[in-house]
Amino acid sequence: MTGRRVSTGGLIDRERSLEFSWNGERLEGFGGDTLASALLANGKSVVGRSFKYHRPRGVMSAGVEESGALVTLGRAEWSDANVRATTQELYDGLVAKGQNAWPSVEFDLGSVNNLFGRFLAAGFYYKTFMGIPPLEWGTGTGAWMWYEKFIRKAAGMGRASRLPDPDKYEHAHDYCDVLVVGSGPAGEAAAIAAADKGLDVVLVEQDSMLGGDNLVVDTSQSPVSRLAHLESQGIRVMTRTTAFGIYDNLVVGLLERISDHLTDPPTYLPRQRFWTLRPRFIVLATGAIERHLAFGNNDRPGVMTAMAGRAYLNRFGVLVGDKVVVATTNDSAYEVAVDLHHAGAVVSLLDARAQVSSILTDVVQSIGIDLHLASAPLDIKGRRAVRRLLIAKSDGSSWRQAFSKECDSVLVSGGWSPVINLLSHRGVRPIWHRDNACFLAGPTDEFITVAGAAAGIWTKAGCIKSGENAGNIASSAINEKSLYKLSPTSIENSSWSNPIMPLYEIRESNKKLKSFVDFQHDVSAEDVRLAHREGYISVEHLKRYTTLGMATDGGKMGNVIGLALMAEAAGKEIPDIGATVFRPPYTPVSIGALSGRSTGKYFRPLRRTSLHNWNIAHGAVMVETGLWQRPWYYPQPGETLSEAYVREAETTRHSVGLCDVTSLGKISVQGPDASEFLNRIYTNPFAKLPIGKARYGIMLRDDGVVMDDGTTWRLTETDYFMTTTTAHAAQVMAWLEELLQTRWSDLRVHVTSVSDAWAGIAVAGPQSRAVLESNVDNTEDISNENFPFMGVREILLKDGTQCRIARISFSGELAYEVYVPADFGPHVMEKLWTTAKNFGGCLYGLEALGTLRIEKGHVTGAELDGRVTLEDAALGKMASPNKSFIGSTLSRRSELLREDRPQLVGIFPKDRMATFNAGSILKGATSVVECGDGWITAVTHSPELGHWIGIGFISGGRRAWLDKQVFSSDPVRNMDVEVEIVSPHMVDPDGVRLHG
Amino acid sequence: MVERISALIGHYQFGHFGKEEQVGVVLSELPNLSLIQVATWPENFQELSFQLAKSYGIKNAPEKGKCAAIGDIALLHVEPLKWWCYGPLAPLEIPIETGASLDISHSRAHVRLSGTEAHVCLNRLISVDLRSSACPVGSIVSTSLHHVGVTIWHSKDGYELFVPRGFAIDLWDILKATAEQFGLDIA
Repeated sequence: MTGRRVSTGGLIDRERSLEFSWNGERLEGFGGDTLASALLANGKSVVGRSFKYHRPRGVMSAGVEESGALVTLGRAEWSDANVRATTQELYDGLVAKGQNAWPSVEFDLGSVNNLFGRFLAAGFYYKTFMGIPPLEWGTGTGAWMWYEKFIRKAAGMGRASRLPDPDKYEHAHDYCDVLVVGSGPAGEAAAIAAADKGLDVVLVEQDSMLGGDNLVVDTSQSPVSRLAHLESQGIRVMTRTTAFGIYDNLVVGLLERISDHLTDPPTYLPRQRFWTLRPRFIVLATGAIERHLAFGNNDRPGVMTAMAGRAYLNRFGVLVGDKVVVATTNDSAYEVAVDLHHAGAVVSLLDARAQVSSILTDVVQSIGIDLHLASAPLDIKGRRAVRRLLIAKSDGSSWRQAFSKECDSVLVSGGWSPVINLLSHRGVRPIWHRDNACFLAGPTDEFITVAGAAAGIWTKAGCIKSGENAGNIASSAINEKSLYKLSPTSIENSSWSNPIMPLYEIRESNKKLKSFVDFQHDVSAEDVRLAHREGYISVEHLKRYTTLGMATDGGKMGNVIGLALMAEAAGKEIPDIGATVFRPPYTPVSIGALSGRSTGKYFRPLRRTSLHNWNIAHGAVMVETGLWQRPWYYPQPGETLSEAYVREAETTRHSVGLCDVTSLGKISVQGPDASEFLNRIYTNPFAKLPIGKARYGIMLRDDGVVMDDGTTWRLTETDYFMTTTTAHAAQVMAWLEELLQTRWSDLRVHVTSVSDAWAGIAVAGPQSRAVLESNVDNTEDISNENFPFMGVREILLKDGTQCRIARISFSGELAYEVYVPADFGPHVMEKLWTTAKNFGGCLYGLEALGTLRIEKGHVTGAELDGRVTLEDAALGKMASPNKSFIGSTLSRRSELLREDRPQLVGIFPKDRMATFNAGSILKGATSVVECGDGWITAVTHSPELGHWIGIGFISGGRRAWLDKQVFSSDPVRNMDVEVEIVSPHMVDPDGVRLHG
Repeated sequence: MVERISALIGHYQFGHFGKEEQVGVVLSELPNLSLIQVATWPENFQELSFQLAKSYGIKNAPEKGKCAAIGDIALLHVEPLKWWCYGPLAPLEIPIETGASLDISHSRAHVRLSGTEAHVCLNRLISVDLRSSACPVGSIVSTSLHHVGVTIWHSKDGYELFVPRGFAIDLWDILKATAEQFGLDIA
C-alpha cells in the first residue's frame, strides 16, 4: 500500500499540524486525523502483527471493527494496549508503537510461526502439549503448566502496564425520554423527529464527529453545523460516547472518552466517564459494518473494506493506493470506485455477480474504470504489501483462477452486517435475512426500535425515513405506553437496485489458501472446516474451539463468514446453523472506567467520630475498624504499641482512663409499643425495665444464633436508647426496620439510627466517679446510691452541656459511658481529660480496650461471628424461659444444644512466659482432627495477671478439658504452645470492682 | 452555651478550585443544623399532618418527597410516616399516642451544592433523576452518595445535602473532586 495525502478535501484541519511518534519515529498529521489515517498518510503500511502467526497486518477498516491496526499508546504507567488506531484521534505528542512483535512490527522474529502455520491450526497447542505421551500418561497436564507460559508469550496482543493507572475516571447518571444511538442519517432523523414531539432526547455518537455515514459519503454539511442544528432542537448530544450495553429496564451503559484526544488534559478532568443512562425509549441507529471476503492472503497490508478506503479519502484526505482493485458482491462499492478514480487512482472493479443493471455499470465504465463481472479476488501476492492480485472467474458453480492484476491495495465489500449487538444484549436473537445476506434483529417487547442500516436499509433516503418513523414510534410508545412495531420492509426504496450475491469465500476446489475469517485471532477458513471435521457442529463449540469471534472485536468482522463456512461444511443453510449471542461490552471498556472514582482514597468512604481531630491532637495512632477511624493507642515519646497498651490498661485499672467509644451503634426506639418490641427481640426480659436503668441484652437471628449484643437504656416510658456493637450497627438497624415493616407492622414503634448524633466517651477505672464529680454541678447525682450500676441519668455539666450517662462497664471497672451531642464531643472530652490528668489518668485506645475486655471475658464481634449460640458464649442464662423472642424456638434445636459444641473459655500459657497467637487452633495432645478442637479469637498481655492470656472456643468448654493437655497450634507460623483452659472471666470474676 | 464544632472543621478551605474562569458549582457547609424528626403512626397520619401544617402556617403539610419552606424554616416529608422540621422552629409538643419527635441536629452535616452545574455534578455521584421535570424545587430524595445514605432537598438555593456526620469529610472530598471540572467555589 502506498497511502498518501491528497492535496485537497476531507474534514481534516490542514492548518493544524500535529506531531506524533510511531515506533520512535516522528511523523506529522492533521487535526481531525485518526492515528490510522495519519499512519496511512505517512505511507506506513505494516502497523501490527497477528495474534498467532505474527503475520504483518495493516489498517483493515476505518472504525471500531478494526482487527489489524491494534497498537499500544503511551509509555510506562500511561501505556494503553490494544488501542484501535482507526478510532484513536490524533493529538500533538501522541506516542504509539506496534505490539506483539519483536523487535518491531516491520521486522518481527515471531513471524517464524508463519512458516509452521500448517501445523498451528485450531487446537494445536492443546493437542500437542497436554498429556504428552508417554511422558504424561496418567499424570494429567503437568507439562502444560510449564509450556503454557512460553506459548502465551509467543502469541497474544498488547501488554498492559503493571503500574498503577495514573488516570482518573468517574461514573455519571442521567435520564431521558429517548436515547438515539448513532448520528448517521437515520439517527439524526430519529432524534429530530422525537424532539419535535417535545421529548427529551439524548443522541450518542461514538465518533468524535457527528454524521455517521455522512462523514464518508456526503461531507457537504460540516459536523459542527450538524451539532448546532441538533442542539438548537433541544437535543442533548454526546460525541466520543459509545453505548456498550443495554441491561434490564432499559438501563444503558455508555462510555464517554473525555481526554483520550488531548495532549495535556487538565488534572481535574477524568479520562473517561462511565454513564448509566435510563431512557424510556431507545432508537438504535447503529449502522452496519462492511464485511470482508475470505480469499488467499486476504490479511495482507493493503487489504481493507471498500468503505474504509472511501472514508480515508473523503474524510481524511488520504488515498490508500495508486493502483486499487475494488472487489464487491453488492452495489455499495461502485461509489467507492468512482470516488477513488476521481482522486487519481487507477481503479479496477471486480463484481462477483454475473449480471448487474446497466445503470450501475455505465457509471463506472463511462469514466474508464476497468469493470469485471463474475470476478472475485482469489489470492494476493506480496508479503508485507500487496503486489499483485490473482483473480478468479465464476462459471456459475465454482471459481477458477482467470487472470491477475498488479495493484497496491485491494478494497473488499462482501456485504454488510447490521450492528445489532445492543439488542442481542437483551436476549433478542438475530434472524437471518436472506435477501440482504445478513442478520437483522428479531422482535422485542421492550421499548427499543432499530432504524437505518442497522435495520437493513441501505439507501440514505430510506435511512432518513426509517429514522423519522423511529422517532414517531418513540413518541407514540411513551405517550400511549404501547409499542408500535415497524418492519424495515415497509420503507420504500430501502435497498440496492441489484440483489447482493451471498458470497463469503473464494477458492479453487483443489487449492489450499491461507484465507482468514477472523483476523484478530488468526482464525482461517480451514480452521472452521477442521472444527467441523472434528465434530464441533454447534456454533458455540465452533467459537470456543477456533476462538472465532473472541477478543476485542467480538466477531464484528468474522462471525458471519465463519457461520457461512460452517453451514457450507455441514450442508445446511446459515439460519440452521444458528448464531452466537453478542454480549456486552460492544467495544472494550477499561477497568478504570468501571471503577470510576472508587479507587485509592475514594475506594470507600471512611467514618470519623466527632472526637477524631481531638484524638489526633492528643497523640492517637489511628486504626481502621470497618469504616471507622478509631484511636488504636496513645504512645508517649519512645513508646511502642505493646508498651503503650499495657500502660493504658494498667492505668485504667488503677486510676482512670478515657476512651472514644463513639463508633458504637446507637438506635432510638420510640413509641407506645417500644417495650413490647424490645421484649420480642432480646432474649432476656425488657418489659419491666425501670425508667432510668440500662440492661445488657442479646438478640438472636431467627435460626437461634447470636446476632449482636449491647445495652439498652430506658429514658422514658416510651423512649429507649439502644447501643449495638460497632461492627453490627447497620445490620441491627436494618433488622429492626425489617421486623417492624414486615412482621410487626401493628406495633407503634419507630427506630432511628442516632449513631452519628452522639459522641461517646467511656470513663473507666476506680477514679471515674471522681472525674465526673469534678464536671457536674450536683455531685449527688452521681453518688453510688443515686447512680448505681446500670443506672442511666440525663445530667447537666457545669458548662451547661446536656449529657446522657449510663453506669455501665466494658472494662470491668467502675465505669460510665458519657454521651453528648456530637458537635459538643471535643469540648466535653477536653473537660473530662483535664480532670482525668489530675488523677494520673490516661487516654486509652482500641488495643487497651481489647486487653481490658479479654481479661473480663467480654465478647465482641470476634467471638460473635455468626456461628455462636448463647450457650456457646456462656450466656445461656440470658435466655428467658418465660417468653418468646426472636430465635427462641430454633435455638433449642438439638444440634445447638450438644454438649460438645465449642464453648467460650479463657486461655493461659502453661509456661507463663510463653505467648501464643489469635487465630490459632486449640487441640488436644491426641487430637487427630485437622481443624482441632477449638480456636482462639483474641489474645493480649494481661497487666493484671502478668502474662499472656486469650479467649476462644473449645469443644465442650472448660470442664471437658480439665487435667488434659491442650495446645495452641498455629500451623501458619509453625508455633505450638501448650496452654491451660480456664474460665473466660480471668480478672475480678465476681465483678466486685463494677460496684465500687 | 458551648459552641458547636462542625464535622468539617479543619477541612474547609475557601477558594476557587479546578476549571479556571468559570464557577459552575458552589459548595458550602451550613453549620449549626437544627433538625427535628417527627414520626407518626398510620392511624394518626392525618392528625399530625394537620398539626404540622398549622404549626408552619401552611394549608397542607407537604406530600411525601416534598418540602414546604417558609423563610428560614422548612418541613420536609422524608418518609411516609416521618417529617423533618428544619430550622429554628419552636419545639412541637406531640403526645406519644400521636407520634414521636427526636432531635437529630447533630447527626448530620448540612452541605449545600449550588450553581448552574450543581445538578450535573450531583448526578456524577447519585443515580436519582434530577431533571427539573422529575425533581423540581421543593423535592426531597433519599439516595446513596458514595455508598452512604443521604437525604437531599432541592431548595430554591440549591441542593441541600444532609449527610451523616461521620462520613461528612469523605463525602465533602469526593464532592469537591467531582465539582472541580465545572469550576468550583467553596464559599
